[in-house]
Amino acid sequence: MKEIMVHLDRCNGCLTCSLACAAAHSSSGTIVGAMLEGIPGRIFVQAAGSRPVPILCRHCEDAPCVDACMTGAMQKDPGTGLVSNEGREQTCVGCWMCIMACPYGAIIQKPGEKKLALKCDGCPGREIPACVAACPNNALVYEEADAFSEERRRKAASTLV
Amino acid sequence: MRYVIIGNSAAGIKAAETLRKLDRGGLITIISDEPGPAYSRCLLPAFLAGMRNEDELRIRPENFYQRNLVDTVFGKKAVKVETGRKQVVLADDSRVEYDKLLIATGSSTAFPPVEGLAGPGVLGLRNLADAREILEYRRKARRVVVIGAGFIGMEAAYALYRRGLEVTVVEKMPHILPLQLDRPAAEIIQRDMQAEGVRFILGAGVREVAGPSLWTRLFGKTGRGVILDNGDRLKAEIVIVATGIKPNVDLVRDTEIKLNWGIVVDQYMQTAVPDVYAAGDVAETEDIITGIVCVSPIWPNAVTQGAIAACNMAGRPRLYTGLIGMQNAVEFRDVPAIAMGITQPPDGSYEVLALHRPERNLYRKLVLKDDVIVGMILVGDIGQAGVIAALMRKKANARKFKERILKGEFHHGYLQRAVS
Ligand SMILES: Cc1cc2nc3c(=O)[nH]c(=O)nc-3n(C[C@H](O)[C@H](O)[C@H](O)COP(=O)(O)OP(=O)(O)OC[C@H]3O[C@@H](n4cnc5c(N)ncnc54)[C@H](O)[C@@H]3O)c2cc1C
Repeated sequence: MKEIMVHLDRCNGCLTCSLACAAAHSSSGTIVGAMLEGIPGRIFVQAAGSRPVPILCRHCEDAPCVDACMTGAMQKDPGTGLVSNEGREQTCVGCWMCIMACPYGAIIQKPGEKKLALKCDGCPGREIPACVAACPNNALVYEEADAFSEERRRKAASTLV
Repeated sequence: MRYVIIGNSAAGIKAAETLRKLDRGGLITIISDEPGPAYSRCLLPAFLAGMRNEDELRIRPENFYQRNLVDTVFGKKAVKVETGRKQVVLADDSRVEYDKLLIATGSSTAFPPVEGLAGPGVLGLRNLADAREILEYRRKARRVVVIGAGFIGMEAAYALYRRGLEVTVVEKMPHILPLQLDRPAAEIIQRDMQAEGVRFILGAGVREVAGPSLWTRLFGKTGRGVILDNGDRLKAEIVIVATGIKPNVDLVRDTEIKLNWGIVVDQYMQTAVPDVYAAGDVAETEDIITGIVCVSPIWPNAVTQGAIAACNMAGRPRLYTGLIGMQNAVEFRDVPAIAMGITQPPDGSYEVLALHRPERNLYRKLVLKDDVIVGMILVGDIGQAGVIAALMRKKANARKFKERILKGEFHHGYLQRAVS
């Protein structure tokens, strides 16, 4: 299964990924349209010290957000491996338990009246996720996850200075 | 292999799903005293408020049981577990044999020893039947008294308020959500709800719930009086009792299965009797923060425990590494809040960092012990709650980050940069 890998050393914090994500999830499909519609990106570029770090959903194997979801909306698709709270019979109520559970901080409250948790849906229907396709620095790459990347990911989740 | 699960809810469903994944040919049976498919009791307030209908409470598609080849015995209560014969005895005296049994019977409303709670119109909120009954009473009701400003009481109060009822919440402790929040946090939430029109009476116990007097009954009225410690009387047509819950353990009383308050399990979620497991609200596990062994009656923990029990039942040993017993997310009106771990430290040996901006409905509090975060309250801005929770579970030293976390400027990027 392919997943989005991050090469931190290549990220210069240009935010293109986040804008492309917003555009991909807007009805207009454009960055300007997304801004007008108030659609947020689902990948977040944060500054750690002076260095940028893209934060995004890892579509975990044993996803804590899935366990935390009290409506059954958040599920991991057994076929695609994608974790999402959209596109199912069960729907999100915005109880924020997934936000409480996600160790990466990859889920946000959707802005607006209706309470809804918002996260990376893996861009179903696209060959390459919008953020990866847009990244000008190859900091985001879409590739088969190997044991090494899995290991590094776990380490990131568990190690602290 | 015959797997039997008693309880068709958070823990039971996750266990069935996990068992099916690990053992394609095993026989799986779910027993439930409730008649229908699994639903989320966390959504009952939304149902009460009229925001969701019954179909929208289901946590799995309708064909879940067929698709996962799960046999269902619904609408029948399990009254006894015979561990010697490996059988579950049902209320109609029929028996279900098992090789591996999971007890996921959850908990029910604990009614306190207050006079008058048995009368009509006095209800708990635990299952769909309760919620339906409350809505039935609602037709003729104008006023509601909710006894207990804990999580369920507050949810019920706000839901019925949204239905247009006059709601008064009575709480014995000096602030609402006393198990989850400290006073400053509770006051922000309370103020927000008060502004809407929910009324609170704090620091007051309930002495008695009195039925309608003969006189009022003559006029066809059914209202009740809630009499407080100080003698004050509140009139209401519906009284919701939300002062606590108790684990459903009756079916294993007088067996070898060890009971404390809930069912005692080992690190594999197995009870004192081999091949009998317990998970969810009914099971007692060790809290990773406090080290205390007790029930942890929240949805995410029930699901995780159900998964772990199922792995072990299917012969794939998986250790329960400990969860945080108290983690709650609330948003009644407009102010979200998340509380976790030890939010009100019992003594002075803890470090407390707090940031309080009540005028903006903002509050953040961290409780630390030796630079390890053991508790937090986030009101208003709940982003990054999961990242902080992960630090808590890992017992990570947060010395370098704590000020940043307090200010809401921390995120997972710091951890990634630390290892890259
Ligand atoms: C109104 C309300 C709101 C809540 N909101 C939240 C929330 O926002 N977040 C959160 O984390 N938690 C919440 N909770 C708590 C959460 O619902 C529970 O922690 C969770 O449902 C526990 O799941 P469980 O599978 O252990 O047991 P339960 O959900 O209690 O299910 C147990 C099932 O077993 C059945 N059963 C019991 N005894 C027998 C028997 N002898 N024979 C056959 N069947 C039996 C019961 O009828 C029930 O169907 C809420 C609870 C309530 C009542």
